[in-house]
Amino acid sequence: MGALDLDYMLGLVPVLLRYLPLTLAMAAGAMVLALVLAVALAMIRVLRVPVLDQLVQGFVSFFRGTPLLVQLFLFYYGLPQIIPAFSAINGVQAAVAGLTLHFSAYMAESIRAAILGVDRSQWEATQAVGMTQLQAMRRIILPQAARVAAPTLLNYFIDMIKSTSLAFTLGVTEMMGAAQKEAASSFRYFEAFLLVAIFYWTVVETLSIVQRRLETRMNKAFAR
Amino acid sequence: MRTLIAPIALAFFAASGAQAQEATSQEPIRVGMSGGYVPFTFVEQDQLQGFEVDFMNAVGEEIGRPVEFVTMSFSGLIGALESNRIDTVANQITITPERQEAFVFSQPYVIDGAQVVVREGNAEIAGPEDLRGRSVAVNLGSNFEQLLRDLPYAEEIDIRTYESNIEQDVALGRVDAFVMDRVSSAVTIQESNLPLQLAGEPFSEIQNALPFRDDEEGRALRDEVDGAITTLKDTGALRDISVKWLGIDVTGSADAGSVAEPTSVESTAAETAPAE
Repeated sequence: MGALDLDYMLGLVPVLLRYLPLTLAMAAGAMVLALVLAVALAMIRVLRVPVLDQLVQGFVSFFRGTPLLVQLFLFYYGLPQIIPAFSAINGVQAAVAGLTLHFSAYMAESIRAAILGVDRSQWEATQAVGMTQLQAMRRIILPQAARVAAPTLLNYFIDMIKSTSLAFTLGVTEMMGAAQKEAASSFRYFEAFLLVAIFYWTVVETLSIVQRRLETRMNKAFAR
Repeated sequence: MRTLIAPIALAFFAASGAQAQEATSQEPIRVGMSGGYVPFTFVEQDQLQGFEVDFMNAVGEEIGRPVEFVTMSFSGLIGALESNRIDTVANQITITPERQEAFVFSQPYVIDGAQVVVREGNAEIAGPEDLRGRSVAVNLGSNFEQLLRDLPYAEEIDIRTYESNIEQDVALGRVDAFVMDRVSSAVTIQESNLPLQLAGEPFSEIQNALPFRDDEEGRALRDEVDGAITTLKDTGALRDISVKWLGIDVTGSADAGSVAEPTSVESTAAETAPAE
């Protein structure tokens, strides 16, 4: 009790640092997968692919409409009871899969909005030169939509980094899990949780700086 | 959509090592524990340690199989055992009729009692009978939750279940008491410097053992581990582990059944706790 134990906090720095790579790897892995999935989902919705469009709507509705923690529990603890093969999936894989599905639902919607935000005349121009819909999407529309969607997508990435902390409920010792365990044995809750907060904050701030630079660069061509 | 993701996810994590399915004698025994239960299983400076760790390592050595420790939140342990992510749980799992329906148990390796712990200076609660009208914290999914619910006046107790950190909430006065096993209660009070005290005597004998899945493989492992525990009891190795972490022998190795006095806990706490 009492004063902040700085020595104890400093002692935890190398411990948490050891788990930082796992936190970042889970976030980065899920981000890549979610991006791929989200682009596919968004395109299905924009192009109104029959049947698939309805399935995607259901998918987005579910993964946006339920808490990530519930999805992770359902996936990790629930599914193996129904389909035993799912017990082969470990905590890290389940967390990445959960983050991917959850965030792809959000990202699909903002990518869809960005695609729809591209001026109609661009579509008409692609048709005029004889491009197929997919060609137009890949060569003309998506690059322009990407610029619009980028800030939102980076926001989701930031959210994703922080959401990896939920993986500790699946038995994954990432940064939050490591901090929780150290706190449970030392009973120095304030120090341990303050330090892990500082870790997340630093990572996110670093990313925000990158985000600002990136936006400036991407907007250069459009500056008047 | 799952069909879309699975191949990508699998490829992505192929390197991270999918666990082999079949248990051979070379396969490690996957032991689940919370890693947050001083002094049985806890992490200090990234080092998983405690009574359970030493005990399981001794068991593994005895039957000639390596031991792989898997830490996760306490309430997730039983689910992980059921879904074959781990082979057993070494986390002071108390034998109860409900659990015996679902799992097969080894012989008990710790015999202990349930203990009420209150904030220092709280003279109003001196045992379980004083918990009427009070809020009491227990770990989610623990036997102590069931123990409280089985009390004749359970309806008058405000039972609150926690994932972790029950000690802190009692120290802060958010709840009136917590109930845990006596041994770790005593050690926790010694090591934590939190303003806590034991309230009265332990009130129910509990027997803690290793649960295994109730299938052919699980029962075979249980028998093997059971033999190892008998050996560890006979050689005194189990008693040594108990004395090392708890200051007393609670393993029922020699004179089984009696719950010893917590007087000698102080000296162990001094030995095992880093000077702070």
